[in-house]
Amino acid sequence: MNQTRTRSISLLFQLGGLALAVLFVTIILLLVDAQPMEAFRLIWEGATGNPTRIASVFVVWVPLLLVTCGLLATFTAGLWNIGIEGQITVGAIFTTGVMRLFLDTSISPVLVIIISMLAGMLGGALWAALAGILKTFGGVNEIFGGLGLNFIATALNIGLIFGAWSRPGIASMSGTEPFPEHFWLPTFQNFRLSLWSIGFAVLGLIIIYFLLQGTHFGLRLKAVGKGMKSAFRMGIPTWQHMMLSFVICGLFAGLTGAIQVTGVYHRLIPSISSGYGFMGLMIAMLINYQAIWLAPIALFFAALNIGGIQLPIVIKLDSALTGVLQGSLVLFILIMQGIKQRFVGKK
Amino acid sequence: MNVEFKNINKHFGPVHANVDINLNIQSGSIQGILGENGAGKSTLMKILSGFIQPDSGGIYLDGKAVLIDSPADAIKYGIGMLHQDPLDFPPMRLIENFIVGQRGGLVPSYKETIKEFKELQSRFGFSLNPEAYVDTLTVGERQQLEILRLLWMGASALILDEPTTGISAQQKEKLFAALKILAEQGKTIIFVSHKLEDVEILCSKVAILRKGYLVGEVPSPYDTDQLVEMMFGKVISLGDRNTVAQNDVVFELRDLFVEHYPLKIENVNFQLRSGEVIGLAGMEGSGQDVLLRACVGLLRPVSGKVIVKGKDLTNKNYLEFMQNEVSFLPASRLEEGLVPGLSLAEHFTIAGEEKKGLFIDKEYFREKAENMIDEYHIIGRSDSTVESLSGGNQQRAALALLKKSLSIILLEHPTRGLDIESAIYMWGKLKERCLQGCSIFFISGDLEEILQYSDRILVFFSGHVSPPLDAATTSLEQLGQLIGGKGWDQVFEIKENYESNANT
Amino acid sequence: MKKKYAWTIFALLLVMVLVLSACKPTPAPSAPAEPAAPAEEPAAPAEPAAPAEEPAAPAEEPAAPAEEFVFGMLLVGPYNDKGWSQAHYEAGEFVVEKVPGTKMIYLDRVNTADRPGTTAAQLAEELVQQGAKLVVFNSDDMKDDAVEFTKNNPEIFVIHASGDTVWADGENYVPLANMANLMGEMEYGKMIAGCDAALHTQSGSIGYLGPLINEETRRLATSAYLGARYCWDNYLEKDPADLKFRVTWIGFWFNIPGFTEDPTQVANEFINSGVDVIISGIDTTEGLVEARKATGEGKQVFAIPYDFIGACEEAPDVCLGVPYFNWGPSYARYVSSAMQGTWKSAFEWMPPNWENINDLDNTPIGYFSGPAMSQDAKPLLEKFIAELAGGLNLWSGPLNYQDGSEFLAEGEVATDVEIWYLSQLLEGMEGRSE
Repeated sequence: MNQTRTRSISLLFQLGGLALAVLFVTIILLLVDAQPMEAFRLIWEGATGNPTRIASVFVVWVPLLLVTCGLLATFTAGLWNIGIEGQITVGAIFTTGVMRLFLDTSISPVLVIIISMLAGMLGGALWAALAGILKTFGGVNEIFGGLGLNFIATALNIGLIFGAWSRPGIASMSGTEPFPEHFWLPTFQNFRLSLWSIGFAVLGLIIIYFLLQGTHFGLRLKAVGKGMKSAFRMGIPTWQHMMLSFVICGLFAGLTGAIQVTGVYHRLIPSISSGYGFMGLMIAMLINYQAIWLAPIALFFAALNIGGIQLPIVIKLDSALTGVLQGSLVLFILIMQGIKQRFVGKK
Repeated sequence: MNVEFKNINKHFGPVHANVDINLNIQSGSIQGILGENGAGKSTLMKILSGFIQPDSGGIYLDGKAVLIDSPADAIKYGIGMLHQDPLDFPPMRLIENFIVGQRGGLVPSYKETIKEFKELQSRFGFSLNPEAYVDTLTVGERQQLEILRLLWMGASALILDEPTTGISAQQKEKLFAALKILAEQGKTIIFVSHKLEDVEILCSKVAILRKGYLVGEVPSPYDTDQLVEMMFGKVISLGDRNTVAQNDVVFELRDLFVEHYPLKIENVNFQLRSGEVIGLAGMEGSGQDVLLRACVGLLRPVSGKVIVKGKDLTNKNYLEFMQNEVSFLPASRLEEGLVPGLSLAEHFTIAGEEKKGLFIDKEYFREKAENMIDEYHIIGRSDSTVESLSGGNQQRAALALLKKSLSIILLEHPTRGLDIESAIYMWGKLKERCLQGCSIFFISGDLEEILQYSDRILVFFSGHVSPPLDAATTSLEQLGQLIGGKGWDQVFEIKENYESNANT
Repeated sequence: MKKKYAWTIFALLLVMVLVLSACKPTPAPSAPAEPAAPAEEPAAPAEPAAPAEEPAAPAEEPAAPAEEFVFGMLLVGPYNDKGWSQAHYEAGEFVVEKVPGTKMIYLDRVNTADRPGTTAAQLAEELVQQGAKLVVFNSDDMKDDAVEFTKNNPEIFVIHASGDTVWADGENYVPLANMANLMGEMEYGKMIAGCDAALHTQSGSIGYLGPLINEETRRLATSAYLGARYCWDNYLEKDPADLKFRVTWIGFWFNIPGFTEDPTQVANEFINSGVDVIISGIDTTEGLVEARKATGEGKQVFAIPYDFIGACEEAPDVCLGVPYFNWGPSYARYVSSAMQGTWKSAFEWMPPNWENINDLDNTPIGYFSGPAMSQDAKPLLEKFIAELAGGLNLWSGPLNYQDGSEFLAEGEVATDVEIWYLSQLLEGMEGRSE
């Protein structure tokens, strides 16, 4: 009984946070002379108005869900994997690179797609492992290492797009030459959404949920995250576990990059990570690192992203406003958690 | 300052930690608060110092009701709390740490502050070097620093939570002298302890808590038996020493040389026999913790060998020691022993050697945890997080987590912060293991404990290690002198004899 | 401890979000500031409500042409960038003014860096949802999306500016009945710019601030060179060997720190090595700014920006002139034909209106003479324009490629295809071809 009471209080505070975030954005809207209700209605319409828009929301949902799944592994081990953006990018680079190798061969496209996506996962994992190695053996905090590796990944990506992998005759911001259609992840008729990518996302969520909730490995990761020294004394090889959590996160990030290449853009583009990594960090914080809430919250963020496109088209508002809404949501919900702890007691 | 608690109540989930506590503490007095672990002493003090808020009831300072919302609030009202593990900023120098607490003034004046610091500490006979780094200080020295800092910040009531654990006899003497000076100046001293002896010499009045209730208040002079009865509700005595040492050597150090700034521990030769208990005595920071860590691969020796059951494990890491049935229980339980945030059941899952498939058999480990909770008399549930347990129960849990088959257990202050009952229980459990051939190697600041439970004793003094002394023929006075650095000539004679014997 | 850590990071993230949104606030605050917008504003919320409620209606029922004809524009950069995108935005306004019954909707900063997770095709569909029946893709970078969108939406008219998809003679020909490719023949603008530069240089050294290297940028840089060489040799009658024409490519249309070379630095290197006229091939105005700085320090340096008629405003006293695009008239033509049902897919590479190259109602490109132009040079430049109008073709032999191989023999004239897909710079130009 007590438990349900705590839970409903908790929910009440979360909703309070949501209300405050909406209020905050409303005030911003009023300050720029826009009509808040109109803006919120447009976002809602823009995300759910027709099947195409709903499909677009899911196109964003898939990568958000996958990166956040990966981030849950590193957060559980007590790590701030800021390098996630770079890991997505390198995953995309590996996928593109391997696919390019097989373009002119007679190997079945299905096999090529599988190999390329596996290569993408490998690439993400390698890049994440690099952050792990820097931390373990170089003593570089994963936040700074990650930022540096993000920068390098971006430079590498742009360098390839404008250099070695540029289109014949031209180099352009639009990316590398698109892959022929039979190398694309198959999509629904008339939609950009691929059933396969949805499948990957759901599978990824299930795997990470059971990995973290139900396995010995997940529990050991949690122990490392909550008390590294104690975990070591209890016989857990700590740095190996941190490294593994980086690698797991990298696999997810790499898969995200691979899906962006094979399922969404069908080529490598300069901003292939689309900022999903940073958004994933926000989502992870918002769901308090619990996989159970991941799917709906990621869907909400994706809907905001897609719905926000309407703002500049229809009422000439900057669509970055939805970013402000997302950011303030995280902020206010964290604040409410703090307030809750203060009033309801610490433990 | 007159401090008064009125009808204080505090719940932690199902636990009623403070039940309707009424207590009035006069200005200029040294008030003892006695009670076993989990009696509610710490809760009451945390309420006074603003770390937690009571569910009901209030605090009155000099007759005025105050609302203490945070530690910062508390210090504003002149209440300073000295924690069991002093909270400070380790990477800083002493004087910087000191200045951090300073009120007002954008630009701190170092020279000025150093001068005032020296003046202040001379009044209490402390001799801290203001330029030293805080992390090089012993627990006792940190405590002195913390007292100075609280006074400097204007505290007129001082709360000391188990201040005598982990400090040397000399430091304790200094501390008590300082507290008496402060009381004479009209400061209110609240001295929280479970050590009867300390309370008896220091406090003018003592309040006894048991299971959340204030059982009663007794003025000095005290009747020890009465106090014990009030604390535990029954009279208990220390357990007996029983030697079960056998002859086979399970652990050996050969010419070990460990360096850990600022200590150098050289030329340690020593054998631990199966079933034997060896106590490491010495003032805090004399090198016993360094040696203990070197014995389990947590510190790398410069030279020499560490041999476990005939196997050379020098330079191997702790995990390999664990595989060779060696286990180490460190002093700071929540930092190095247990994982805060994880439940007891989760701890047993991690520590368990059985059911190691991919997925966790949660039901199995819940039952295991419950059995262990019963067996080790832990107050808590299988889903309680370890930090919600009291210190004594944490230690019981740590003990319960040790693997069944162990050859050597190394412990750092195994009973620090525990009430007598828990301490006796702890040793009972350890002795059971000795009977099964397990050897024990432990550090304690409590000389009586060392004499009581050890077969042999190693004494440390600023990096020097005595040869093993036979506990049965060593007196408390002798031991006290040795850890204070006296009578070592004699010891070195013994050592030479011991070594020449060992070599032949 | 852990908690504090979390807060720090969170604060950092939040700051990042805020900074990101603060970095591109232009459309939001300027909407009320813009004189045109407030007039429409009261009506705006009510207006889009109608199409949003029945989103499919305008797209499926072409039977309602009596109503407003809505055309949409996807702009690669900010609509007020004083460059490429603003030229398109103003062209849209021109259409609304000149073709009765039309309405413009637009989305700017359509690129994956500014709008992560979206594609131009997807955004074009959103414009269609808002009622657009014709969509303009204004960047070469949107080529793949423009083609994809055109194929998937046969009932929507598409103008892809600067593309060559529906050019039957082109190398990338795809027949798409509902697409048109438009491009002003900026080669003439660049020739005039080159001539202008040659008439003003004292040192005989001209610097061309190039973007990335591709067919378009090669032919534009080369045009500038051809114009400069012609005026140097024929009007000033100076020794051809004394004319130095240097091209430095920064790597993109604008500065991307860490990836491109810094155009400010490149401009300074030009100035330090004796260049006294900088012709800009990039979308931003660093060349102009640095020329003004150097002039302020006592060196006389001129610059010629690019793209947008108003570009000289940044530093008028050193601005010799600007070759600009004027998309309005051609867009108006295509919008009208779409409205009247006379649409024809075409590739148009449009030369200036030689009657008056600055007639904004009729010319696709023009050359705006800047305040810094000298009185001596003015008649010569006018003479050059008149000669071009009269049929002077600078793309005629003998011309050699930069590597010495022959491009055009004596008497030979380059075809459009040869110019459009120019594979190398020419002999006499310094700088990389690849």
